[in-house]
Amino acid sequence: MSNPSVRIGFLGIAHMHSVSYAHNLLAMSGVEVVGMWDRTDALAAEWSQRLGVARFASADALLAAGLDAVVVCSENAYHRPLVEQAAGRVQAILCEKPIATTVADAQAMIDRCADTGAKLQIAFPVRFAPSVIELKRQLDAGLLGEIYTVNCTNHGSMPGGWFIDPELAGGGAVLDHTVHVIDVLRWFWGAEVTEVYAEVGDSLLHPDLGIDDVGLLSFTLSNGVYGTLDTSWSRPPSYPIWGDVKLEILGEHGVVYGDTLHQYITVASNAAGKTRWAGYGSDMDRGLMADFVDMVRTGRAPSITGEDGLRAMQVALAAYASAKTGQPVKLSNL
Amino acid sequence: MQRIGVIGTGAIAAIHLDGWRRMPGVQLVGYYDVRSEAAERAAQRYGGRVFATLDDLFAAVDVVDICTPGVAHKENVLAATAAGKAIICEKPLARHLSDAVEMVAACERAGVPLFPAQVVRFFPMYSQVKAQIDAGAIGKPGVYRSARNGSFPRPGRDFSAPHYADFNLSGGVVLDVAVHDIDFARWCCGEVERVFARGLTFAGKEYRDHALITLRFASGAVGHIEVSWAHPRGNFRTRVEVAGDGGLIEWDSIDRPPLVYELYDDEHGFRRIGSSPTADEDEPYYAELAHFIDVLEGRAQPIVTARDGLEAVRVALAAIESMRTGKVIAMNEFVG
Repeated sequence: MSNPSVRIGFLGIAHMHSVSYAHNLLAMSGVEVVGMWDRTDALAAEWSQRLGVARFASADALLAAGLDAVVVCSENAYHRPLVEQAAGRVQAILCEKPIATTVADAQAMIDRCADTGAKLQIAFPVRFAPSVIELKRQLDAGLLGEIYTVNCTNHGSMPGGWFIDPELAGGGAVLDHTVHVIDVLRWFWGAEVTEVYAEVGDSLLHPDLGIDDVGLLSFTLSNGVYGTLDTSWSRPPSYPIWGDVKLEILGEHGVVYGDTLHQYITVASNAAGKTRWAGYGSDMDRGLMADFVDMVRTGRAPSITGEDGLRAMQVALAAYASAKTGQPVKLSNL
Repeated sequence: MQRIGVIGTGAIAAIHLDGWRRMPGVQLVGYYDVRSEAAERAAQRYGGRVFATLDDLFAAVDVVDICTPGVAHKENVLAATAAGKAIICEKPLARHLSDAVEMVAACERAGVPLFPAQVVRFFPMYSQVKAQIDAGAIGKPGVYRSARNGSFPRPGRDFSAPHYADFNLSGGVVLDVAVHDIDFARWCCGEVERVFARGLTFAGKEYRDHALITLRFASGAVGHIEVSWAHPRGNFRTRVEVAGDGGLIEWDSIDRPPLVYELYDDEHGFRRIGSSPTADEDEPYYAELAHFIDVLEGRAQPIVTARDGLEAVRVALAAIESMRTGKVIAMNEFVG
């Protein structure tokens, strides 16, 4: 039986995840990547040619091509205008993380999608990593008994480009790398972060960077679990891999060391001038795209909502507030 | 020839005694313990005599090695100071900050050397981390992370001392264990400016203690230390990582050791056992004690000072205070 293709466009591709998302969508049967648009001409031309996806002159022209859904992978600050522009003209929107750079923007996006009936999903691919899925299943089955604490890292390499422009990114390492892990913890336990203390370092590992490149968050969840998260861009160019997503969970029956990306081969390359770890784990972006396409096809509710995106972003904003005051910050529920 | 007398003959003393017994240029003279039967056992196993009083011990030795629980360090250090003996004191230097301050002041006043046994500085992988930082391999340190996770030292199991379970005596996992990592972090990153910590110390969980400690150093660097007495029995795991503006250092005790045995028999099934042996003289406790003798005899500059031991206690107690109050503790305002 042949369903009509799901027609998808890319509004903004400045975030490098757009490449992986597009590759996955292009490989999927019953999906048509109709076109792309980006505000930066050179970037758009290069991306369009590399992926073989038609380039449109404006966001409006792309939306006029008749799309079921869009993927928004612009710079963080443009998430809001692009989502607002698409809502009402497509059924579904997948927005790259973080959802936005301010609570007001995120709330406006959620409200606009609700008003127009567009389904808003936030791109948190870590929920689709097989090791994270198994970990959730084990936790749900009570493997560790009562949970005491989590010690997490989402280290990365300093990404450069617009990621270090405060206007476009809204924040550095803390905003970039708080949201993945916080989203996973919220998903594990259906709990909210209630308090955050943070030590944030500006230009600490990259002199004159002009934005935070170090973040250590200490937080408490509404289920009583306390934890920490290191968001630092502390993997130097000479390191064998770009970063990590680690979740170490301690409970009454033991501890589990989760190292989500730790399925790799070691490659010593004279051409690269260093030794690299080349991953062979299942592509979590593939799971994210399949889930999104399934939502568009079936009309079901998003598995990761705008509200999820907002809650995760608020923890990062609370971390900045804590660093500014030097005190723990309580997150009051909206 | 330095004549060594050991006060307190429990678990940590056994490790010291094994070192003293095989160290050239020292003589292990004997022991004092408030539990005389424990001192008798040490004498039978390691040689030397049992002293009935501290004064008897002081009269017969040059160096006093204090291996009692931390809460008893002060009285023994002050007594040894009054007797003019060189002192080695196990960590934590004291249970209370005021005690540590008094001990260090008394030793400085009397001109008596006080060596705090911050042994992590003598673990070869940790001293290599410090050497690489000093050599400029990673530039200026920006993010320090370490962990020291094991199970609760329960009485009647692999430790005999019941005092660990009494917070008033031991200070819990932060004072007993985190002093190691705090001292090492200070060695790498300098003085600590403020401390924030969360943990199980006041959660009322029997035979469970744990803490996640966040540090800010005066240099601007940040630090994260995990310590646990809540991990499953049978494993002890340590890790250290330092990121700088020019690179990154990592070590994890779970990493593959130089020897891995894979064995099968019908009784145990498959077993995998790792081993990472070192030369006798590089065994960390031996290296630490030998270093103190080298300093005493003028052959080396001290790698760790009484002030370092005091500061490690001060930051650990600040972390405990942060856990107790939920507040950030500024070190320049913290008086214990």
